[in-house]
Amino acid sequence: MQNAKDTFYLTLRNRLATVNPARTMTMRSVTRPGILVEDAEPFMPQPQLDAFTLRWTALEADLHLPSILTQMTCEIHYTTAGTQANAGLDRGRALEKMDYELLQLLYPYSAQKMNYAQTPAAAMNTVVFWSEPEFGPAVTDHDRLSRIAKVTVCAFQEANEA
Amino acid sequence: MADLSTQNPCGLAQRVATALMRAGGGTTACLQMPPAPGDASDTGQIGLDAPGFLSLPLSPAVFRKARATLGDGKLPRYELLVSADAVAAQVAQLKLSSAQALFAQATGVVVAGKLFLIEAVSSSENQGAAYLYRLLLQESAGEWSM
Repeated sequence: MQNAKDTFYLTLRNRLATVNPARTMTMRSVTRPGILVEDAEPFMPQPQLDAFTLRWTALEADLHLPSILTQMTCEIHYTTAGTQANAGLDRGRALEKMDYELLQLLYPYSAQKMNYAQTPAAAMNTVVFWSEPEFGPAVTDHDRLSRIAKVTVCAFQEANEA
Repeated sequence: MADLSTQNPCGLAQRVATALMRAGGGTTACLQMPPAPGDASDTGQIGLDAPGFLSLPLSPAVFRKARATLGDGKLPRYELLVSADAVAAQVAQLKLSSAQALFAQATGVVVAGKLFLIEAVSSSENQGAAYLYRLLLQESAGEWSM
């Protein structure tokens, strides 16, 4: 399951670098595309603005198939306060831009499963595939606007996979 | 209307704050900072690599339990008061733009071998210059000693 999660994150991160190279953030002294896995980063008291945060929640397993099919829910959180140039009055437009970027990041809805625990990363025998996003309502918190999109990520558990 | 009266900052408030904290049983707190340059690899972003955080000492500092009430299942919260002189020394050493930049990069604070998470940072100022920083901390769930 961890290989599927890693593949999903790194696929989206690489696509983001192409879709919008300007969406970057500095995290732990590294400037990188504005997307992160919440459970692989230090605690943050406030959400990272103008970046996508992946949070893994539900897990289901279908045991009635030749290989176990896992279905994991990934919540993609994103928050914006708009831009300084527009004094934050463009936060609605900024959120819409992130909505569209997310649609672009998720398509196509599959990727070759990789094992990143090896060096170099090795391609596995199956693919990771996921659903279309299910967008939640935009939520206003003072001058911040945020949204959560849910995606169901599926992968077959391969033999000898941890 | 702007206040045009003459004010000559002489660092008195900073020295008083430092002396008070030292006299009041000042301790040393260590900010956990990411190394520079950071880990830009794929494995560093998915929790496979050890982050190699650096320990940045701040002294004198006073550590105390916050007045917040405790609830079931909630970890206790603490306050850390840090001398602005100590913070300014580290900001200058790391060539950062401000104390806020320093605290924004920090991933936690270690006091007496225990890790705490930074929830909020505020400062007290005199004549436009900070003389004391107050960090609101929450105990980390990890029980490892640092």
